[in-house]
Amino acid sequence: MLFNSLHFVWFFIVVYAIYRALPHRPQNWLLLVASYYFYAAWDWRFLGLLVASTIVDYSCARALDRQTDPVWRKRLLWFSITFNLTLLGFFKYFNFFADNLHLIFGALGWQVDFFTLRVLLPIGISFYTFVTMSYVIDVYRREIRPTRDLLDFAVFVAYFPHLVAGPILRATMLLPQIGRPRRITGEQLRDGAWLIAWGYFLKVFVADNVAPLANAVFDPETPATGVNVLLGVYAFAFQIYGDFAGYSNIARGTSKLMGIELIENFRFPYFVRTPQEFWRHWHISLSTWLRDYLYIPLGGSRGTPARTRRNLMVTMLLGGLWHGAAWTFVLWGAYQGALLGLYRTAGGRPAVRQWLLGNTPVARLLGWFVMFHLTCYGWLIFRASSAAQIGSLTTSLLTAFAPSSVDFTGLLVPLALYVTPLLLVHAGEAWFNDVLIVRRTPIGVRYSVYAATLYLIVLFGNFGGADFIYFQF
Amino acid sequence: MGRPQSPDRGARHRVRHVLFFAAIAAAQFGIFEIALRTWGSSEAAPAFQGLFEGDPRIGYRLKPRASVRFATAEFETDIAINGAGVRDDEEIGPKQPDEKRIVVLGDSLVLSVQVPLAQTFGELLEKRLNADTAAGRYRVINAGVQGYGPVEEALFFESLADTVQPDLVLVTVFVGNDAEEAFQSFSKLGGPGSGGMVAARDTLRTHLRRLVRRSMVLQVVRLRVNMVLGRLGFSLTPPEPPLQSYAASPAPRIREGLAVARRSIEHIMATASRVNARTAVVLMPARFQVDDADYGRLRTAVANAGGELIRDAATERFEEALAPVNVPRLDLLPALRATLPGPDVFFQTNVHLTPHGHQVVADAIARFIRDHHLLTARD
Repeated sequence: MLFNSLHFVWFFIVVYAIYRALPHRPQNWLLLVASYYFYAAWDWRFLGLLVASTIVDYSCARALDRQTDPVWRKRLLWFSITFNLTLLGFFKYFNFFADNLHLIFGALGWQVDFFTLRVLLPIGISFYTFVTMSYVIDVYRREIRPTRDLLDFAVFVAYFPHLVAGPILRATMLLPQIGRPRRITGEQLRDGAWLIAWGYFLKVFVADNVAPLANAVFDPETPATGVNVLLGVYAFAFQIYGDFAGYSNIARGTSKLMGIELIENFRFPYFVRTPQEFWRHWHISLSTWLRDYLYIPLGGSRGTPARTRRNLMVTMLLGGLWHGAAWTFVLWGAYQGALLGLYRTAGGRPAVRQWLLGNTPVARLLGWFVMFHLTCYGWLIFRASSAAQIGSLTTSLLTAFAPSSVDFTGLLVPLALYVTPLLLVHAGEAWFNDVLIVRRTPIGVRYSVYAATLYLIVLFGNFGGADFIYFQF
Repeated sequence: MGRPQSPDRGARHRVRHVLFFAAIAAAQFGIFEIALRTWGSSEAAPAFQGLFEGDPRIGYRLKPRASVRFATAEFETDIAINGAGVRDDEEIGPKQPDEKRIVVLGDSLVLSVQVPLAQTFGELLEKRLNADTAAGRYRVINAGVQGYGPVEEALFFESLADTVQPDLVLVTVFVGNDAEEAFQSFSKLGGPGSGGMVAARDTLRTHLRRLVRRSMVLQVVRLRVNMVLGRLGFSLTPPEPPLQSYAASPAPRIREGLAVARRSIEHIMATASRVNARTAVVLMPARFQVDDADYGRLRTAVANAGGELIRDAATERFEEALAPVNVPRLDLLPALRATLPGPDVFFQTNVHLTPHGHQVVADAIARFIRDHHLLTARD
């Protein structure tokens, strides 16, 4: 069930009407049933995995809380982690590793018939396994007490706004909101409505309209000149942002309407000047998860600079692999790791501090420009279908830029039309450092933005019902 | 600490906000309307609307001697209407002794604003017929008008017949919506059963349509609303008009529409007979009857909504409805399907024929005329 489908609209209207009429405990039952229905609407067969993950991690956390023996506590923790990673590894990476081993053995001249399966990827598995793992790790670290209430825990795992594409929520944020009665304020209703409208705008006006522009440039059958590759990469940068931030906004908005706050997942990520800042503004729930459960346990920045760079690289490589079972994602992770490492090395140099990180308007503009293009090159790696395509597109950018060949009517003009309204709002958000700045502007500006958003969605939105990109992760 | 608002004050406050928002939305409506009229391209564009004028009997018709350039993302076309109110660069003029005239009646699929006049199947048919013979001269008159159904075509031909003096009238039936359109225009045909209730509803609908057609913003909103209703539709209301003719269990209005279409064709035959012309019917399929991908998408959408789409049902229903009428018929579907795989015969973003599609249709009609000796002298 897509957020941009009428099925979801009907689903939410019905659920919300009943939700508002119920007291707290039945509300939680309703949320659980609705969330399982939401998940089963994709493929009911995978509902068992979600339920199994819920029961195993609930039980592990309860046992961890009772257990005082450190050896047994560690065993319980590893049991939970192994269970979750096995689910993730089997459903997401089995064929990837089998195919690659087959290639390696083939290259060595060994003919080995590997067992491959037509494994379907259960939607949202990368998200909910990370949610339950973080819960068990937090309980193991004694940072939180586990909930005794299986219903509350099941709602925490399956809560439909964040179930299939995040944000990856922490128990500290969501469980208390599920466990106590909720009071929905007028402010939450207004913020929620705006977040939903803005989320749909990002999805159907920005992402789904620029997608064909990016697809055309990334089509291996139709090679493009460097300038058009650049425009295509820009298009993909806004497609993936619009798609994912759109989903996150709709998730936050629907949740706000129910009186439950979710974490901000994006903060105008294309208006930053360093790789570190980028990861504090892009897919925030994943980057903080990786920081807290991978980077810091690896040693974080506590060791030598070389060790820190290694930790960054390992974290980003696994972060890349989390996005999908393909070498291009691993390469993208390596690229992000290298950028973060490079920033740690070069960020303190006087020239960099003066020209890219300084407070002058020129340094701000230059810093933003350089970081935006470094990010875009990352998206080229991310979107490419193979390492060979990364090579050919990079070659086009570097050796066949040909500015005169720019595709004005097919690429530049539509890209500018679909992206400019987003950039205007983003600029306001970045200027005031507030993702809900539109809600706090004077009434005339606010209503103008609301009306323009609605008109742009209705008149120019792409209502083809395209999937959200992050569902595949 | 401020004083709490009284309920009256709160309500007035909300009303002021709603009015303020409505004023901003109205101003932006104007801005979007101007922008779309200036840079957008659709049938609501003033240039395109300038092609039409009101007609007391038919509702509207092409405006004599109008001339516009119509441009969209897919095509840019110059359209000229001659003094007789049909698409042509030249006046029809008096009929020459050795001249044979063919009038092609139909809707937008005949008018074909998507392609230049020389690429329409009417013009191509004229060239093929003239190339086939040394003697005589053939003239094909494109009498298609956007949005016409069988009833309007019958009425339009009544007003045109004496001017053009045809030898052959080809009635191009778009099987996708002509039954629906005939049903809706029943009252215009007159005769028994065309009651005032239908006429009143039709007038209101016509007024609403005109209002929507005048605004580009409203046209897009209409499409969006139709889309939403269509998606909700199958569980709450019957399938939207273009698909109802293909539904496994169509609404009763389709059967009634087919009967009205038959009456309209008989009306055309009678008018043609009065001016010593013969009549033939050409059945034009919808794009999805030829395009497999389009068909797959629509079939799935209908199936998901609990309905059943039968790909050629509308063609078969028209064949069956017209069987009692003694009129030669050409179904274009086999000729269009025979082009697969090959270049598109229909545009991708609209349901009209591409230049290649026009060639295929012209070839098929030329063969049909020859095989049925439709232009030979009658015994």
